[in-house]
Formats: sequence, structure tokens, C-alpha cells
Amino acid sequence: MKAPASWIRELAGLPTGTSAEDIAHRIAGVGFEVASIEGDTIDFEITANRPDCLSVCGLAREAATAFEVRGPGSGVRVPGSSVQGPTQPHPPPPKLTHADVSVSIDSALCARFSLATADVTVGPSPAWLAERLTACGVRPINNIVDVTNYVMLEMGQPMHAYDIAKVAGPALVARQAVAGETLTTLDGQQRTLDASMLVIADRDQVVGIAGVMGGAGSEVSSSTTHIALEAAWFQGVTVRATSKKVGLRTEASTRFERGADIGATTTAIARALELLEEIKAGRATSAITDVYPAPKVAAVIALRPSRLARLLGDCVPAADVERILGNLGFAVAQAADGWTVTVPTARVDVAREADLIEEVGRHWGVNRVRATFPALRSAPRVSDAGVLRARRLRRVLCGAGLQEAVTFTFMEAAAAAPFSDDPAALVSIANPLSEKFAVLRPSLIPGLLDSLIYNRRRGITDVRLFEAGAAFNTTGESQRVAWVLCGQRDTHWSTRAESVDLFDALGIAEVLTNGWGLTLTSVTTDQAPGFVRGRVAALLTDRRIGTVGQIDPAIAEARGLPAGVIVVAGELDLSAFTGDGGSPQRVASLPRFPAVVRDLSLVVDASLSAATVRATIRQPSGGALSALREVREFDRYQGKGIPDGKVSLAYRLTFRDAARTLTDREVDDAMTVIIAALQQECGATVRGL
Amino acid sequence: MSALSVDALRSRFQAALEAARTPADLKTLRDEFLSRKHGLVTALVKSIASATPDEKRTLGAASNALKQEIEAALDTREAEAAASAPPKDALDVTLPGRRPFLGRRHPLTQVRERVEDIFLAMGYQVIEGPELEDDWHNFEALNMPAEHPARDMQDTLYLASPVPVPDGGRAATLLRTHTSGMQIRYMETHEPPVRVIAPGRVYRRDQFDATHTPMFTQIEGLVVDEGISLGDLRGTLNGFAEQFFGGRVATRFRPSFFPYTEPSAELDVECQGCAGKGCNLCKHTGWIEILGCGMVHPAVFEAVGYDSDKYTGFAFGVGIERLALRLYGVDDIRMFYENDLRFLEQVAL
Repeated sequence: MKAPASWIRELAGLPTGTSAEDIAHRIAGVGFEVASIEGDTIDFEITANRPDCLSVCGLAREAATAFEVRGPGSGVRVPGSSVQGPTQPHPPPPKLTHADVSVSIDSALCARFSLATADVTVGPSPAWLAERLTACGVRPINNIVDVTNYVMLEMGQPMHAYDIAKVAGPALVARQAVAGETLTTLDGQQRTLDASMLVIADRDQVVGIAGVMGGAGSEVSSSTTHIALEAAWFQGVTVRATSKKVGLRTEASTRFERGADIGATTTAIARALELLEEIKAGRATSAITDVYPAPKVAAVIALRPSRLARLLGDCVPAADVERILGNLGFAVAQAADGWTVTVPTARVDVAREADLIEEVGRHWGVNRVRATFPALRSAPRVSDAGVLRARRLRRVLCGAGLQEAVTFTFMEAAAAAPFSDDPAALVSIANPLSEKFAVLRPSLIPGLLDSLIYNRRRGITDVRLFEAGAAFNTTGESQRVAWVLCGQRDTHWSTRAESVDLFDALGIAEVLTNGWGLTLTSVTTDQAPGFVRGRVAALLTDRRIGTVGQIDPAIAEARGLPAGVIVVAGELDLSAFTGDGGSPQRVASLPRFPAVVRDLSLVVDASLSAATVRATIRQPSGGALSALREVREFDRYQGKGIPDGKVSLAYRLTFRDAARTLTDREVDDAMTVIIAALQQECGATVRGL
Repeated sequence: MSALSVDALRSRFQAALEAARTPADLKTLRDEFLSRKHGLVTALVKSIASATPDEKRTLGAASNALKQEIEAALDTREAEAAASAPPKDALDVTLPGRRPFLGRRHPLTQVRERVEDIFLAMGYQVIEGPELEDDWHNFEALNMPAEHPARDMQDTLYLASPVPVPDGGRAATLLRTHTSGMQIRYMETHEPPVRVIAPGRVYRRDQFDATHTPMFTQIEGLVVDEGISLGDLRGTLNGFAEQFFGGRVATRFRPSFFPYTEPSAELDVECQGCAGKGCNLCKHTGWIEILGCGMVHPAVFEAVGYDSDKYTGFAFGVGIERLALRLYGVDDIRMFYENDLRFLEQVAL
């Protein structure tokens, strides 16, 4: 809301020397941020709860209270006018003889409809009036329209003037539109209406969208001689919905949707008629017709000093409470337990005791409240497991050499679809900012891949990123952790340059799950969208919890990755990571007897999986076999010296008995059994022990 | 060739030894003075043959002494040189070490955990909840019924179709615009006293530029008990500001509006760019707004079934990006989402 400081000064009765900066500063201090000060004009940001301050009167009342320029109850007054500010008792409307336009209400969405008629001479407004409108950002049109806008800016009550000659009847009714009715609004656009919309209609047709904009057909023009001045109260929710539907936000709709002063309609008309006479633009020809079927009863709220002290944490002197509320336009009466406060109709935001306490706090000074600290009355509860889990996983992954990334939760469909099990299960946003943010990520990998590519395109060749967060599909959201890697495994001068591969990605999954006490197995899968077939593994515990593998180069290249770069990635669903992983787990007592270690080198068919060989080693039982603690691959070789289609595998077997030291003989026997099983089950050739 | 005198030869040797630096220098020196064929000392000894018998006696003894002296000096220096020479298997320790890869937490995570840790020390519990929300938790229970004008303050992203939630409650219809919905979720399932913070991602249909992103991170705080006051809120936030920014930082409360708090306020901290004198960073006000807060609106208590006469409480919401911009001296919020390693690797471990 833009307002000239001189206008605020005049209505608030501030000393003439009070500068725009002073006024801006004081009003900002009571909750209205100042966007700018240009010359004498201050632009205030009015919060959604204070439609009464979308008026100079409202701002003047805040200023008068903040500057403490008057005693309680004196309020705001328009100099030289019979009109007081909108939060004061409204004067009786002037008594005139007849109204020549009939007025009626035919919808609950309009609670009050007031109207008067006047004879006018249309022309330009006087300079002082036009200047004030311009300062407030309203374009002067002609003296009649300008007076209605002036009253709206001064008092906050939107008004409309009709050329009676163009109103059929002449009769005006506030009713809901009939679906399909149309209206050409003042801006020349034809609008199609529906039954949810409140309109003003004459005997034949719609002449205005209530609270939004009038119709071009009954517009005041240079030939107009007889007008009807309308001031009404329309329900905010309807005006807001209609304004959104027709895509038209106006000074009027902004005020109505936040809540207009239902008590102000007749006062506003009286003020407009007064101004018309003052600028010699016209005079009233009728009494004010006021259709107000159920007059609103002013809210009366009990305000207890005890509650005031409890909420603010400090005692505000009673005299200050009464001065502040009185100056803001509330009627304050003493009661047994504090005060009984009558709320002016303009203050649509004040409905309960807490609201009054806020009024007192604002003007007494929230900044004056003494700082205290709330006592803990019971032991704090432990944080959510998911929070602790994420903290722990982040530290492990950072320690494992991965840099944490934060990517957007939404992305373009083209980025998400390749990583979705079912593109139809992508969650779409109904009103995305742009196509770049159209769907929610089905996996954390596509966002990380884009970040990896971003770095790669800036000359950073070795990228290792991870992210923890939610992924989404039509069945809901799930917490995940994912990682992507590209470039060299090791960049030290002493090692040969080698690209990362699937096993780098797999190792991260193994570290995470083992560290959490989960047993992970990796198996071949064809159900892994976005990965290269044959270079991807499903990760299983008691169920599938994730995937690791090499990203399909075609997908990465489509996202901008230069050709020939291998990217590997992994993702785990965290639902298997129950507990916080850090709670004390029972530990086994340390072995008291030494272990016996044997290495075993085999040649088997290259098609045989390591898991099969490992299972075969573990399969036999009896004797020292029950003491086999660990089976670990430590070499795998194909090439010179090994026949085509075969692979050489080396295993290290660790035997250890909990109760005694094993003899070489026992272990030799166990190895013989294992070798026999490998020869029989796997067709293995043993190359040496 | 006429031989030099013993003294001249000694001073010449001493000067040359002084200048010798490397084992090769010492070898040259040994040749120059002691070579059997053309060494200077050898020449001196040879020259004795033509001397008188008296001279022979004195000169012989002196030249012999000089020869021994030179040999001893060279032996000492050669031994020293040998001792200080690097061993054959010496490593070039000026080469870079084999550094384990070590990642860093994202700056937004670091700021978030810093905030969490401050409140954890004040006895708060960190809670989390869904990013897809229903209208009740995001708006209605927070005193923002349908078509409430305050909904315009948070331009909402809606889902094209509802998505079920794990607890079988209301299906989600929107991306949460704030973590304030966690106030409701927590109070619906817990009795007072309440002392929680709820960090998380939030979403607005906002433009995408240097100061706005459609996704950002927020931490909501909520305290409910008997007798909680605005003074308690002030004291809590002052404590937070001091610990977060370090030292005694000036703060101020400004009245504001949020539908779910009454009274509502914003907390400003003194601009550290200019120590409150006014600069571009603080738009010449000397103050930087860091969070919104207020006393929980009684309607919110009523929505969750708390006795609004018995209990009072405060809530606050702080934007992590806003704090991070200040902490790292970054002027474009988008940097936090580009994941440029040249940026991420600058932050502390």
C-alpha cells in the first residue's frame, strides 16, 4: 500500500514536521514493513491479516497510536469532514427523500448493499485529488471515478459508480451468476461467468463482477449526468475464488478478499457525496438505501491481565493497555477481571483474546519483552530414528570418500523416466514452475547423475557424490541413499590410472550394510532401469533393498556426459536400516585359539559365479569344516596361461575352533573334502595349495 | 715449475677446502694437491731434492706435515660428505602423500546440523516427517482454512493426483510449503510438554533466481507447556543467535504476521557485514532478518485437541539457506544446488 506521508500526517494529526522517514520507521516498528520511500510516498507491505491498513485511515490510526499523539479514544478524523475513520462509530446517513434505483440482495455471499444516487458533471478532478491518487498508484480517470477511488484509499471501502441511464430498471441486485452469463469488464475483456460467482445485475443483465470489476456497459463517461454510488460487503472467499478464476486482481478484490469493513458502506457513500460537493462535481439526489438484512453485532472480548502477562511474559501497565487499544479504535471498558473490549468492524483480524494481546504487544513493543528461558520439566525425548540414521550414514559415506550433494526433489520427466520402474508411477506436479521441475524424483540417481555431469563438463574428471533423501512414486515416499562415481579409482602418482567400476559402487553398499549389521548379497538382475545389462546387481538382505551398477552410457550422454566416461552408481532403500545402527550390539568374545589360514587356487569355467564357488566351499560339513570361519576371494585372473573360457580364482580360507587349537592334519583333511566338492560340483582344477 | 712455499700451499688448500661443496669437489682437491704425478704437494716434495741439506731437513719435515694435514682434512670432509649423502633406497619425500578420499558434508547439512546441535543442547528432540503433505496438516490445522488469503504467502505446488501416506492417514495432495505441518503431526500424537525441532525440505512455487529456489530447507521449532511466554521465545532465540553467530550478537524482535502464531514476530540480528552501520547486505538497515516466530495461535491448539487455556507455546521457523548464505558469504542461493565440487570442497570437513 503506497501512501503519501502528508496524508497520513493529516489524518493522524501528527505535527507537520514529522518526516516520511519518521512515519515509515514508526509504522514499520509496529509490524508493517516498508518496501520503499520515494519522496513523500511510503510503500508499506500490508500483511494478509490487516485489510484495514489497505487505507490511509488505517495507517494513520497505527501512526497516531505509535506516536502517542492523542489520548485514548480520539482516533482518526478527516479534517473538515463529518466523517470519522472506519473504526469509529458510524454517523447516521444523511436523510434525503427518495431513492430512484431499487436495490436488493439475492445471495448470502453479499451481506450488505448500500447505494445512493447523485446528479453529476463529469470532468477532470482537481489537482490535489489527482495527485493523491497518483501517489497511491491509482491512475486518475474522471472526477466521479476518482472520488470513488479516493474514498477507497482513504477508508478502505471499495466503491463503484454506475451511469444510471445505462442501468435497466433502474434496479440493481446482488446475486450469483447463471452459468454461461457473460460480461465485458471495464478493461474491455469479455468474461464468462459461472454459478459460484457473485455479480451485480440490473433488470436485464450482469453489470459487474461483485468486488472484482464493474462492467463496461454501465461505465461513467463524459456524457453521464446521473449516477448510482455503490458500497457493499461481499464475502472474501468468493471474491478471492472469482478473482482467481477470471484472472483479475484489482484494488477492490484485494480488499474484499482479505475482509472489508461491513460497517463502512454507508459512511463511505456519505464521504463520497461530501467529496462530490466539495469538488463541485455533483450532489446527492437520494437518501442512502441500505440493504443490510442481518446487521453484524460487534465482537466483545474479555481481556485478562493474567493472560496478557502469561503470553507476553511481562506486565504491561493497565494505562498502556487502555491507551493502545483505545487509540487503535477499540472500545475498552473495565470489568471484574480486566477489561471488556469491543472490536471495531474494520478489525476483521481480531476475534479472540490472543489477538488483543498481540495488539497490545505490537504497540507496547515486542522488543521490550524481557528474555527468559523455559524450564525443562521432564527429560527430553530422543530424536527420531530416521534423523539419527541419516546423520550416521552421512558420516560413513564422507569417510568413504564421497562428497555429499543436495539436488532438487523435482526434475524434468525426461531425466526421471529412465530410472523409473514404471514411468506411469512417476508423481507429477499439477502446477510446476516449468517443465524442468515437472515430476518428483523416482530415485536419487538421476539428480546425482546431472550433478556429476555438471562437474565433468567443468573439467573435473573424478567425481564421487552421494545424497540421502526421499524418492517418490505413486505409492508414496521412501527414504534412500544413493551414490555416483566416475573417473579414476586412485589418483596417486604411484598407481596406474584405472577407471572406477561396478565394484567401487558395490563396496560402498557393502560397507554401509555391514556397518549396520545387515548381511548383503549381490545377484544378477534384469530389473534395473537405467543400468547396463550384465553390469548391474540387485542388492538383497531378506528382500531387495537396492541396486548397484554401471549407468547406461546412452542415458548419461543424453544428459550431456561426454562419450566414453564410465559412471557407476548405487542406491539403497533405508527401510531396512532400522534402529539407529549405533545402539550397542552384543559382541562375541574374542577367540582364544589361533586361526589356521589356507590359500586355494582354482581354475573353473568363467561362467560360474563367485557365489556358487563360495557356496560349494562352505557346503561340506564335519570335522574341521565346522571351524571354517571365512572364505575370501583374493585374486581373479583370466588371460595368459589360463585356457579360454576359464578363470583362475584364489581363495583364502580361515579355520578357527572356539575351544582348541586345530592341528594341520585336521585342516588338511578339511581341505581335501572341500577340493573334492569343488572338483565334483564346479568342475574345478586345483592349481596348488 | 717452481714449487710454492709450504705456507702458501697450506693457505691455498685451506681456501680451496672452504670452497669445496660436493664429494666431486673434494675428489678434485685431492687430485690437485696429492696426485702422485702432478699434485702440488708431490711437486713440493720433489723440489726438496735441489735444496741445501739444512733446507732439506726443515723443508722435508714441513712438507710431510702439510701432506698429512691435507690428507686428514680431506678424509674428514669426505667422511662427512659420505655420512650426509642420501641412502640408495631413499624416498623423495617432497612428492605428495597418498591421501585417502574424504568427502565433506554439504554446506546445507553442516548448517542444519549446527542448528540442530544448538537446540539438542537446549533439550529439544529432532523430528522428521513427510515432504508430501495433505491440506489439513499444511494449512487447515495451522489456522489457514481454504481460500484463506494467507495461503497466498506460500505459493503451493500441488500433486497431479493424491499419493498415499505410510500411516494410512489422509492422502497427500501437495508438497509441504513449510515444516510447520510437523507441529500438528507431533501434537496430534504427543501430549505436552513439547520441545521439538523439525528440519526438512520445503517447496514453494517461487521463481528460480539468485535469491529464490523452488525448494529450500527449513527448521521449525515448537515448545508447548504451561506458562510458556513471548519472553521465553526471545530468550531461546537470543541463545540460538549467540551460539550460531558466535559471541554476543544484537537481536531485535519486530511484530509480524503468521496465521498460526499470535502474537507473531520476526527476529533480526545485527548485520555483521557492517556491525549494524548499514551496508548493501542489510539494505542499509543494519539488521538482517533471520527467522519468523510467535506464540502458538489458540486455534492451532484447538485443532490438535490441546487445552488452549491451560497451555501456551511458541513456534519459530528458520531458513537454512538464509543462514548458510550469511555463514559462507555466498551471494547466489543456486550454488547450494549445483553441487560444483570446486565450491563443496571449500567447506570444512
